[in-house]
Amino acid sequence: MDGSLVEFFRTAPIPPEVFSPSLGLIILLPLLGAFVCGVFGKWLGRANVHLVACSAIAGAFVLSLLAFWATSDAAGGRVVSMANPFGLERDTIRYAIAYDYGTWFAAGDFRVNFGLLVDHLSGILLLIITGVGFLIHLYSTSYMEHDDGYWRFFAYLNLFVAAMLTLVMADNLVLLFVGWEGVGMASYLLIGFWYTDSAKAWAGRKAFVTNRIGDFAFLIATFLLILTVGAFNRQADPRDYNAASTSRARYEQGISQKGPVTFKGLEKLALALPEGSGGAVSLATPIESGPLSGYTFGGVMTSIMLLFLLGAAGKSAQLPLYVWLPDAMAGPTPVSALIHAATMVTAGVYLFCRMSALLVLSPTAMATIAIVGALTSLLAALIAFAQDDIKKVLAYSTVSQLGIMFMGVGMGVFWAAAMHLMTHAFFKACLFLGAGSVMHGNGDETDIKKLGGLWKEMKWTHATFLISTLAITGIFPIMSGFFSKDAIFHGVHHNHLHGLEWVSGFVYVLGLLITASTAFYMSRVYLLTFTGKRSPEAKLAHAHESAWHMTLPLVILAFLAFITFVYALPLMPRTGGGTQPVFENFLSPVLRPAETVARVAKTVQLDTSSPSVGDYAFAWMWALAGGAAAAFAYLKFFPSRVGQPVPAFARAVRRTALNKFYVDELYEFIIIRPVKFVAFILFRVVDALVIDTVLVRGTAYVTEKVGLGLRRLQTGDAQAYAAIMALAILGGAVYALVQVLS
Amino acid sequence: MVPISYYLLLAAALFCMGMFGVLVRTNALVVFMCVELMLNAVNLTFLAFARMHGEGTGHVSAFFVIAVAAAEAAIGLAIVIAVFRSRGSVNVDDIRTMKH
Repeated sequence: MDGSLVEFFRTAPIPPEVFSPSLGLIILLPLLGAFVCGVFGKWLGRANVHLVACSAIAGAFVLSLLAFWATSDAAGGRVVSMANPFGLERDTIRYAIAYDYGTWFAAGDFRVNFGLLVDHLSGILLLIITGVGFLIHLYSTSYMEHDDGYWRFFAYLNLFVAAMLTLVMADNLVLLFVGWEGVGMASYLLIGFWYTDSAKAWAGRKAFVTNRIGDFAFLIATFLLILTVGAFNRQADPRDYNAASTSRARYEQGISQKGPVTFKGLEKLALALPEGSGGAVSLATPIESGPLSGYTFGGVMTSIMLLFLLGAAGKSAQLPLYVWLPDAMAGPTPVSALIHAATMVTAGVYLFCRMSALLVLSPTAMATIAIVGALTSLLAALIAFAQDDIKKVLAYSTVSQLGIMFMGVGMGVFWAAAMHLMTHAFFKACLFLGAGSVMHGNGDETDIKKLGGLWKEMKWTHATFLISTLAITGIFPIMSGFFSKDAIFHGVHHNHLHGLEWVSGFVYVLGLLITASTAFYMSRVYLLTFTGKRSPEAKLAHAHESAWHMTLPLVILAFLAFITFVYALPLMPRTGGGTQPVFENFLSPVLRPAETVARVAKTVQLDTSSPSVGDYAFAWMWALAGGAAAAFAYLKFFPSRVGQPVPAFARAVRRTALNKFYVDELYEFIIIRPVKFVAFILFRVVDALVIDTVLVRGTAYVTEKVGLGLRRLQTGDAQAYAAIMALAILGGAVYALVQVLS
Repeated sequence: MVPISYYLLLAAALFCMGMFGVLVRTNALVVFMCVELMLNAVNLTFLAFARMHGEGTGHVSAFFVIAVAAAEAAIGLAIVIAVFRSRGSVNVDDIRTMKH
């Protein structure tokens, strides 16, 4: 490339310092769109609602692009940087723009600012949310053309985008939690979009209630973090602050200005805690005062991270809270693509990438995250083997891919997890939209056993679905999914958690199994849907290809799903020699604190080698094996056995997998029944008996009876009243006499 | 010189008779007379104490009570007449309007 082109890309169209006050607009535009569509949608009419909703997201996309460009601005050789409010003057945050809209609320020394921060991590997320979001809005204009509730749909969709943008742009945990709850609400509204069908309304409720469990853990973790920051401030000495390249005065000034749960401040805390820093506070130091006194900083940090894991498991559908995601397919398909594949469900991964510096302080939590991710991934893949509903397969596939991201996060390959988040957003959104297109062209048929042979009739859908399938499985290795997944598995294989060395081997083996399983079930879906002969049970004799509103997003997403593999190629020079993948280099400003903490604390040994061709070939072999097995089974083995009875063992296995290994029933038995029983007892005893009968109706009863008794006293006879007065006076006189005489 | 306790005992006896009358008689006019009896019993104590202390405050109070009692009797009799005209009786037991 010649110099002027490089200069063009390195110069933001709007300089960062000019652009940063407008960051709030990125959130405001979709919010405004949601307001207009929701309040005036009925009168605006279909075309106008489409215009408002799509243009709000398109505007947000353009603004996100400008923001992203501004974070990479290096005009005149000077990289964009800003002063770190928690660090010394020389401590700057590179490749980031931020703007603080002032205090949101404050109580005592606790303060939360409405601060927005865009760096390379949230920047790439912004582009995914608004870009994929716009494509899905465009797709929805055609997909929802026969639905009367279209204005509600677009209002919710815009609301979701606004909440998700809040989540990724927040510079502190509390504001992130606002987005976290907002996306949960939008997800609930959209899963239960067709609320007249009670099963769909229940699915929405299930998602919401399951997420509440996680959100509760998230909140507790936030409170614990606030307490920890307070304890650190009381106990640290200058050397601790030195290790974090700050000073007590600067750090406390930052906290009083920005609040204790700002991510940059938490990074400083993480940098000060490792043993290597030589200060008064390290992971083994017990907290002296406050509610947490007696616990060590490291122990508290581990529990905080485990609570965050529970919170993330709710949002990102990991064990034990994954059960809502498959049911979430009750909502319209674009919702599944946008919320339950590309954006919201990756919030947990994003959260851990944001808090990576704190996470690497706790190998226990990391191991737990990795194992939870691996087990979830494997379980979901096994369930996906036997699902016949095309959206259900994709939902379990999403759970499985999220599990892979959690493995990456848990083993410290944050950049690869973030990259898999990105590539997964592309190909999974494409797969879901493809599934929606298939349903649209086949009279809403979702059973893959009743489809087949669609490749002739739906050429665009078929081509994009095939590309995305290849991307997710890695059967054709020059694809984004193969590289991002392999980057995770390579990191998992070579990183070591201090004291828990066995985890990496264990998780790596599971990862290989997951690769093969993914290849198998995705190939199965593709083969059953698009190849072979049309099923005799199909609803329509001939499928029709969808409108361009639906195929254009598919094509763009398929292209992105193919091309993003270049980010995993080791093209960038690494400081200290060697090369590193483009994406790792790209995220390094965000993840450097985590690397520093890991190096100093020696909790995680981060490997920096790139996979060799042999490693790639090994991973490819696994994917190929899975794909080949599926191809053999569904192209040759099963078609040749049509009409023959299936062995009983195979039937039993299939039934178990079809029923999702009875996890829902297990939860029903272990958790929901006892809770319902307790609720019943509480209802019968506490509510119905104590409160309703004794307290509420009891007071009324007593009052009434007392009134009935007192009624007899009111005769209206003045003489009787006077008599009572006289008696009272007499009594008073007698009492006075007794007092005087005694 | 009669001791003051005689006067006070007489006054107390008169007061109790008056009070008894107020509480048990049913004729409104008799009730009024009993009220006067009570007032006069009090007047008696006023005068007895005034005599004992040798000062005029008690006399003034007695006159004051007599004036108020006269006014009260006038109003009371007017009410009694009004009640008699509307109900044809002055029986206290029949008048239960305080119930409502």
